[in-house]
Amino acid sequence: MNTGQPNWKRIALNFSAVLARWLLGAAFLYTGLSKALHPVDFLKLLRQYDLVQSSLPLNSIAAALPWFETFCGLLLLVGIAVRGTALTLMVMLVPFTVLVFHRALAIQSALAIPLCAVKFDCGCGAGTVFICRKLAENVLLIVLSGWLLTGYGRQFSLRFSLTKSHSHRSAPEAGRE
Amino acid sequence: MFRHVNKQLRLYHLADLTPGKSVCPLRRDGSRCWRIRVNDELIQPVSPGRRPRLKWVLLEAVLVAVIGAIFGLAANQVSPRGLALTRNYFPAGTGRLLPRLSPAPAPPNVAGTNSMPIDSAQLLAAELKEKGLQLIDRLQAVQLLHDPRFKQNLVVFIDARDEQRYREGHIPGAYEFDPYRPEKYFDAVLPVCKAAEQIVVYCNGGNCDDSETAAVLLRDIGIANRKLLVYGGGISEWTAYGLPVETGERNSGKLRDPGK
Repeated sequence: MNTGQPNWKRIALNFSAVLARWLLGAAFLYTGLSKALHPVDFLKLLRQYDLVQSSLPLNSIAAALPWFETFCGLLLLVGIAVRGTALTLMVMLVPFTVLVFHRALAIQSALAIPLCAVKFDCGCGAGTVFICRKLAENVLLIVLSGWLLTGYGRQFSLRFSLTKSHSHRSAPEAGRE
Repeated sequence: MFRHVNKQLRLYHLADLTPGKSVCPLRRDGSRCWRIRVNDELIQPVSPGRRPRLKWVLLEAVLVAVIGAIFGLAANQVSPRGLALTRNYFPAGTGRLLPRLSPAPAPPNVAGTNSMPIDSAQLLAAELKEKGLQLIDRLQAVQLLHDPRFKQNLVVFIDARDEQRYREGHIPGAYEFDPYRPEKYFDAVLPVCKAAEQIVVYCNGGNCDDSETAAVLLRDIGIANRKLLVYGGGISEWTAYGLPVETGERNSGKLRDPGK
């Protein structure tokens, strides 16, 4: 079935995507666990966003989100339901990034300092960070999630797609040609 | 085999793939031409369009989200540090939405001065006053630590941080009282607070508002307002000035090296 020369570009792309999958998975595993181990700290940080007023939804988000991120990180690391997980993370990351940016703007306006000088703990699991760095990190994570959505990064995965027929027909083949 | 053929067939219009008809993937160099007989059902290219693919990914995402949410809530229930979902962790509107100005403690280079910036201290004092609480500075806290009433438990220090941070270092003789898990500490702290004449509550200092939360909690369960004093500089200011810090349990006698 070979078409001649191995497609090195595709092989490189696929292995880069595997690295991206592992990087994304490790990032979410780390941030998820660091929040899950200190849920009260995360709750306090989450509250600063003023998203909900009543205790039950606020506590539920603070309780479940760190473990949810851990779960998604694990799925990506072992390669289960990769595209679905990548889509879920992307859907999560975009509004989170917007919220962090809005909060940074509020702090910037209160302290009258340049935006990139704003430094605070956004509840992202990495402690106090400069906002510009955090935004760049988030954009990178969104891009990586988007890339995994295209179907690359299939190697070393337990079950790339939960739907068998789907997995057979739509992903770019990993350097097998 | 079929998987690969399936990919090749995607190059063609579905209309061309009638049973029995041969198709030939065009190669630029014309060196090889596949002749694939499409006369059985095995290699039919089922819906190669974008929509079904997106549908499956969406379904998978929903599945991941639902299982992840269930996993998250279950893990929280199992975790010893898990949150109680229905509890109000922020009584009486404690906590602030924006950090105070200049939150970091100043270095101890000017002896005898309060390290909290004046605007920050005024802001905090105003916030506490609204709640009927009083702010004290480091000098007042030190004075109270050396007050003869301290040894008789008439002046009490309350550390409003979590257990781990308390054990890493607290003001000598301070009681541990994590306001987010108060039920764990009520037995030890309540009788002492009721008997005390003055209660100094502190946390990390800077942006930390756990001392305020703890003070409000104590006030709400019947400790008189006038007794409650909030040390705004907190343990970070205390440590920065090289004041004594006890590690481990209360009255463990283990004092940390002031240099650390």
